[in-house]
Amino acid sequence: MTNDELVEVFERDPELLDWTRRTFLKRTGALVVTASLAEMWAVACGGSSTSGSTGTTGKPPVPRKGARIVYTQWNSFVPAGDTEVRRQAKEFSDQFGVEVVVQTITQDDLIAKTAAYVQAGDGPDVISMQYSWPHLYTSACLDVTNEVNLLKQKLGAIHPVNDAYCKVSGVYRAVPYTIVMNAWSYRTDYFDKAGVSPFPKTFEDMIIASGKLAKATGKPIAQTVGHAYGDSLTMWLPVLWAHGGKETDASGKVSINSPETMKAIDWALRAKAAGEVFHPEWLDPDNNQAYHSDNISATLNGPSIYIKERDTNKKFDKVTDNAVMPAGPKGVFTMNLIFNQAVMKWSKEPETAKAFVMYQMDKDNYLKWMAAAGGYDIGPFAAINNAPIFQSDPKLKAFHDVAYDPTGKPVGYWPGWPAPPSKKSSQTQAEYITADMFAKALAGTSPQQAVKEAEDRLRNIWEKP
Amino acid sequence: MAEAQVPEQIGGAAWLRRRQKAPRGRIEIGDPFLARLLRIYIPVLVFVVVTLFPFYWMFITSIKSDTELLDFHQLPIFVREPTLKNYEHLFTQTFFPHWALNTAVVAVVSTAISLFCSILAGYSLGRLRFRGANWIGWAIFVTYLVPPTLLFLGMAKLIQVFVLYNNLWSLILTYPTFLIPFCTWLLIGYFKGIPRELEESALVDGATRIQAMLRIVIPLALPGILSAGMFAFTLSWNEYLYSLIFMNDPISKTIPVGVTQDLIRGDEFFWGELMAAALLGSIPVAMLYSFFVDYFVAGMTAGAVKG
Amino acid sequence: MSILTRAGVGRVGVRRKRPSPFDNEAFLGYLLLVPTVLMLTIFLAFPFIYGVVLSTTSTEVGDNALGQFVAFANYVFEAARDGVFRTAFQNTFTYTFYTTIVKFVLGLSMALLLNQVFPLQRFVRAALLLPWIIPSVLSTLAWRWMFDPTFSVINWVMNSGLHLPICHGSTTCVNWLGTPNTAMVAMMIVNIWRGTPFYGIAFLAGLQTIPIDLYEAAKVDGATRWSQFRYITLPMLRPVLLVVILLSTILTFADFQLPWVLTRGAPYNSTQLLATWAYTIAIPGNQLSIGAAVSLFLFPVLTVVIGVVLLLLRRPE
Repeated sequence: MTNDELVEVFERDPELLDWTRRTFLKRTGALVVTASLAEMWAVACGGSSTSGSTGTTGKPPVPRKGARIVYTQWNSFVPAGDTEVRRQAKEFSDQFGVEVVVQTITQDDLIAKTAAYVQAGDGPDVISMQYSWPHLYTSACLDVTNEVNLLKQKLGAIHPVNDAYCKVSGVYRAVPYTIVMNAWSYRTDYFDKAGVSPFPKTFEDMIIASGKLAKATGKPIAQTVGHAYGDSLTMWLPVLWAHGGKETDASGKVSINSPETMKAIDWALRAKAAGEVFHPEWLDPDNNQAYHSDNISATLNGPSIYIKERDTNKKFDKVTDNAVMPAGPKGVFTMNLIFNQAVMKWSKEPETAKAFVMYQMDKDNYLKWMAAAGGYDIGPFAAINNAPIFQSDPKLKAFHDVAYDPTGKPVGYWPGWPAPPSKKSSQTQAEYITADMFAKALAGTSPQQAVKEAEDRLRNIWEKP
Repeated sequence: MAEAQVPEQIGGAAWLRRRQKAPRGRIEIGDPFLARLLRIYIPVLVFVVVTLFPFYWMFITSIKSDTELLDFHQLPIFVREPTLKNYEHLFTQTFFPHWALNTAVVAVVSTAISLFCSILAGYSLGRLRFRGANWIGWAIFVTYLVPPTLLFLGMAKLIQVFVLYNNLWSLILTYPTFLIPFCTWLLIGYFKGIPRELEESALVDGATRIQAMLRIVIPLALPGILSAGMFAFTLSWNEYLYSLIFMNDPISKTIPVGVTQDLIRGDEFFWGELMAAALLGSIPVAMLYSFFVDYFVAGMTAGAVKG
Repeated sequence: MSILTRAGVGRVGVRRKRPSPFDNEAFLGYLLLVPTVLMLTIFLAFPFIYGVVLSTTSTEVGDNALGQFVAFANYVFEAARDGVFRTAFQNTFTYTFYTTIVKFVLGLSMALLLNQVFPLQRFVRAALLLPWIIPSVLSTLAWRWMFDPTFSVINWVMNSGLHLPICHGSTTCVNWLGTPNTAMVAMMIVNIWRGTPFYGIAFLAGLQTIPIDLYEAAKVDGATRWSQFRYITLPMLRPVLLVVILLSTILTFADFQLPWVLTRGAPYNSTQLLATWAYTIAIPGNQLSIGAAVSLFLFPVLTVVIGVVLLLLRRPE
């Protein structure tokens, strides 16, 4: 942060200035503050990029009695989870004599509202950030390195994807919150009928399976290849990566025009020929709907399909099971939906806000929330990534394994990988460039043409002067 | 021309008398039923069916249970086991009544403000001659060329400055920005259509301009004002983006925003409740309108009969 | 003075008042404009100027201050290098052009019909207004449900109800939202369904103001229904036509809600319109300035379109 930005922040939050001074003095042992604001800030927050991660920690945030904070998150796909969030908010409010107002906004609209808040410089105290939003709204998010370090001490290491999203230039701008896993939900009865068992472990197996399923049952494997926020890129980026294709290399140079990408497209075309159906118009609800109405035999989705069958519909729950992403020539790649909590700089009660975020991340509370959500989310810290729910419901295992493999090692990548998350990777994601590339090829455009268009669009973003 | 009579009273009802009745309540002599059937009844039927089929579908959807909704093996255009569960859900589990009230309040007040501004502006630009009138008229109209998806960010900042976040006034004060231009244009047209002689004679009779405006011209433009009011109300009722951005509390939302926020959870559309809300959010307004449209036309006819 | 009053200029006993400033045309004219100008200046001018300034800089969401000034670089960039922009541009024209024509024809027919006598008039009038009244977000959602890839009731009607041959006996008759052409047609259908009442009611109001003596006279002269329409109705409707077509063109050009809710631009941007593309770039894509530039592209384009419409429709005063 620059000195000017710091001045602005400190003007809004004098307590933060006090904390900065005190921490600086404590750490440096200096008797008098002669450093600039920026230097004090750097030291108080744990210093440079490396020390940020091993971090010395300060004291945990304490809520101020009588404070009122507004907490904004998306409208979760599993309402029971939101109910639990509200319950915890009430518990926190009662315990500390504060008021926490929980606001939920539809996923699609959350980004518009967040952008408006950031532009206006005012809004809720805590905003749930999806994907790389902390990188987009960096200057609007308070530094929460202290809180993250405290959590690391208590809960262990952070999943690298959440970490990459939360940490901007060595400073944590958001507290890792959760991962919504994406895996394949499929109808065991149809798969058995077609003689496919177990769920295909490689993409090539999947082509064979598609053929068998289409012939024996008439219920295809189906997925979106359109502008679905949650289901589109979580399919097509892993397909691309698993065949060795990449949008850009690690330094941000556009590298999508490669033989590996052509291999990925070739896979998609062969899968389509075998009977797999890719819908360019499907949005997030469509594959759920198709599954629940017995029109398809498998699809890639968050846990919502399985959970809805298990808890509400109870029609196909016994014949639904879940499986991890198949492997391509280069291995298994997955992409999940990532959430982190940011405390905003305009908050008049930053300490209370931070305290609430910490409260949610308390192990017991978090596990309660995971249980209420029925296995929809998984924790991004080592200690909360294997809740009892994953044992009590063995069918959720696949969802667990797409975020943490059976040994507990984190897996998964982010949109824009291998380049680190940034504004550019965020824009690439928002424009569905990779999905459009596959969609065009599947609709009949020559693969070379489709790749070229994707390349041009990527260049417009990554290599813009 | 015989029509250019000076009316006997200020009030101009006599002018209305000149205007003949609209061809309503009359069937032309010699118009055989078959011809009317082909020319009027059947086209009207076609229009009605095409217009209303989506509403029929919405209605059917709103009284279907979840299981029936996703079951296409039977006739989807009829419902087997109707249920009011969706409506019940709408009224008990969501803030729908509040949203309806909010939407109505915002629509009424912003329409009132817009009409006030545009009646005055329409009169000014439509009947008074002064320098720059044309330019200003165009400038007002040109504001339509700027899309709300561009404006909302700047407006968000403004609302924050005026400390109106989460307050229905943020909508009431910003909606006129897209209501006033059209209403003004509509009213300019209506005001221009009222003959000058009426005012001139009133002025000659010793009335002030303002009296002439209030007593003669505006009453005559009432149908136009009603139309403008109807359009303003509808546009305001319909608005989504500003309401989404400025209103935060679940209880303070308007219908379009509240319904889509609470009845769509990303992966799942609650079609039954959504359609119920859509119907409830439009049919009452339509019924209200049907009275006004009548009044509007009757106003013309009644004037002619009374005069 | 006494001579004038005795000459009885109008009402007896009304003395000519001293001309007040409110009688001055210019003064009154400006005064009456004050509320409007005030409202629009406060709530429109600032956001508009902000938007214009944004488009000439390189600002991103979250930037504390405006980015660097880059003049027209954003506009040039979009027009020259952004393929999706060109597609969106074309789509917007196609969309507006065809829907306006169809709405005009249907609206006029609707108005002519409503002007006649038939049973249940009031009900019909209210019913035909419904598509215009229902909040656009909700009606578009309903249409999406009607075009649903799996559950489209329209397909069902076409296949199981009417047994149309193009369905080949399948319930997923037409993949409405899945191919570029049908998706665009679907969008146009919804727009026409939604917008025709607006045209209809406005034209009806216009029809009502045409004095019937004109028609009577024409009939006496032996004019057919068609020539009555052509030589009386249409010319008298011109002012209304003008306002309605202008407004509708502008609003359709800038339409955001419909394409966003119905298709989100899919399949692969073939239903992307300028407004949705601008939004995609600015908000999820984070490039505020470029998004603003795309939005403002509408400005000169619309000015030209309006010029053309005016040319075609304006009667020489």
